[in-house]
Amino acid sequence: MSGLRLLAGPDLRAGAEGYGDHVRRLGAPTLAGRPLIEALVQSRLTGRGGASFSAGVKWRSVASASKGTAVIVANGAEGEPQSHKDRLLMATRPHLILDGAFLAARTVRAASVVLYVGQEHKAAYAAMERALAERPDVERRIARMAAAPHRYVAGESSAAVHLIDAGIATPTTTPPHPRERGVAAAPTLMQNVETLAHVALIARYGDAWYRSAGRNGAVGTLLITLAGGVKKPGVVEIEAGTTIGEAVAMAGGMSEPAGAVLLGGYFGVWIPAAKAWELPLDAEALGAAGLGLGCGVVGLLPSSRCGVCDTAHIMRYLAEESSAQCGPCFFGLRALSDACSRVAERGTNRDDIARLKRWAVEVQGRGACKHPDGAVMFLRSALSTFSEEFATHPAHWRQQPA
Amino acid sequence: MNDTLLWYTTRGAGAVSMILLSAVVVLGVLSSLRFQSSGWPRFLTPALHRNLALMTLVFLALHIVTAVVDPFTHLGWLTAVVPFSSYYRTLWLGLGTIAFELLAAIVVTSLLRNLIGQAAWRLIHWLAYASWPVAVVHSFGTGTDALSVWFIALSIVCVVSVTIAVTYRLLQPPADPLAVARGEFRSGVSRRPNQ
Repeated sequence: MSGLRLLAGPDLRAGAEGYGDHVRRLGAPTLAGRPLIEALVQSRLTGRGGASFSAGVKWRSVASASKGTAVIVANGAEGEPQSHKDRLLMATRPHLILDGAFLAARTVRAASVVLYVGQEHKAAYAAMERALAERPDVERRIARMAAAPHRYVAGESSAAVHLIDAGIATPTTTPPHPRERGVAAAPTLMQNVETLAHVALIARYGDAWYRSAGRNGAVGTLLITLAGGVKKPGVVEIEAGTTIGEAVAMAGGMSEPAGAVLLGGYFGVWIPAAKAWELPLDAEALGAAGLGLGCGVVGLLPSSRCGVCDTAHIMRYLAEESSAQCGPCFFGLRALSDACSRVAERGTNRDDIARLKRWAVEVQGRGACKHPDGAVMFLRSALSTFSEEFATHPAHWRQQPA
Repeated sequence: MNDTLLWYTTRGAGAVSMILLSAVVVLGVLSSLRFQSSGWPRFLTPALHRNLALMTLVFLALHIVTAVVDPFTHLGWLTAVVPFSSYYRTLWLGLGTIAFELLAAIVVTSLLRNLIGQAAWRLIHWLAYASWPVAVVHSFGTGTDALSVWFIALSIVCVVSVTIAVTYRLLQPPADPLAVARGEFRSGVSRRPNQ
């Protein structure tokens, strides 16, 4: 796999690009401070952790709240099981991420930088640690690593703050949002590592350059992970607005005909394959269609596999990943998962289908974090995409999810 | 108004208040235990707890107002507000004033729970365990009926019910059904920072 911008440069199989090579290849960033914030706003860069929030707006808000005390968190927890883009980026281009993080520190006048990296991403963690050691003293002195526990919710921003502060990666109630009151009660700028890497390039080449990539009205590039029924699963960098069909072609095409596409990972939505191919991979365009890019996972479900069974497996996973803090999430997801599993194992029964539909609505919005909301959004998309399969599911338990 | 009628009302309303307050304490304990059975759904406990507490206030108001306006005792309104300011049974009446004020604090903070936040509300609600015994001691010290058989029997029932409920609460593990799962999850995602 090669890339356009973030993944351009030396062969990715060579591992992390060192600081010397990185500086020789790209030079030093020229923008920082207020002009950088303006460039980010103009660039229309959005967060790549899943929420797709405008980076420029977030930086502006932390910059105005910061009194030299702000904290930068580079979020590389990547708890989404199907996503690989963050760990690939950290393992191969750590200095792009660090450039972005330290530019953020200068721009919002931050006192410290935390590199929050999933502990199970061993190569990425080591690469980030090594890269940090290569940075100049002034940067190294304010930065530190923090290992994100291997749980789905650990990457959620309030959970990251909770881990860095108190050593427990469970979400806390928001508001206050971390950007108002985060690590050590200071305004905290948390960005996904891919977002920070884009910042590093925008700070060198400007917002017009960033917008020069992109198709069908979308701007910039993005990293996506192709999973499931494709010939070459993995991470590719695409121009925003590239359709799902084109992205699949970049991954060598389908390994077998697909019945449905899971867009955005386990917090994403199922889309019937026929409807999916023409969808542009761009947060704005997908948002307008009532969908979301999420963390950029495109998972293909081969038509030989059973959508109901895969949905049941994923619901089981999401239920077990509840941090057991809010009753509706802990009990609700468990009940939903049990009902899904009953349909998968013993076949369709009308009571469980009715329960799934009712509970999926009742759980919505009743957690301190968005974990239950993400899970039921996923489930509701399954109920509509696989409505026929759910209505006529035989008694079997076919396979583990891809 | 007939003085005797006032005096009977004071005593009667006081006794009723004690019964109600004891019931409120028992229900409060039961709701913290998340008690339920087939004939008693869980929502019943807090609803009854709240409504009986408000009813207690009504009888308490009757108890206090009739006592104050009774020309025989000459208590004055200050007695109802400032503890130990009464010339008459200074200590015992003062305890009544304290019990009432603690209760008033609990009720007011409960009505303003959304404003003051869960933690502050909870902290102040613990005062219930101070208000109730003080009220009981007040009834024995001041009560004209303290030595009559019916009142002693009533008091025993109240004290025994509250004692049983509180003892049960002390012996029970926390009723939070998420406690175990949350503990397990947290131990899986916990570490010291800076590692």
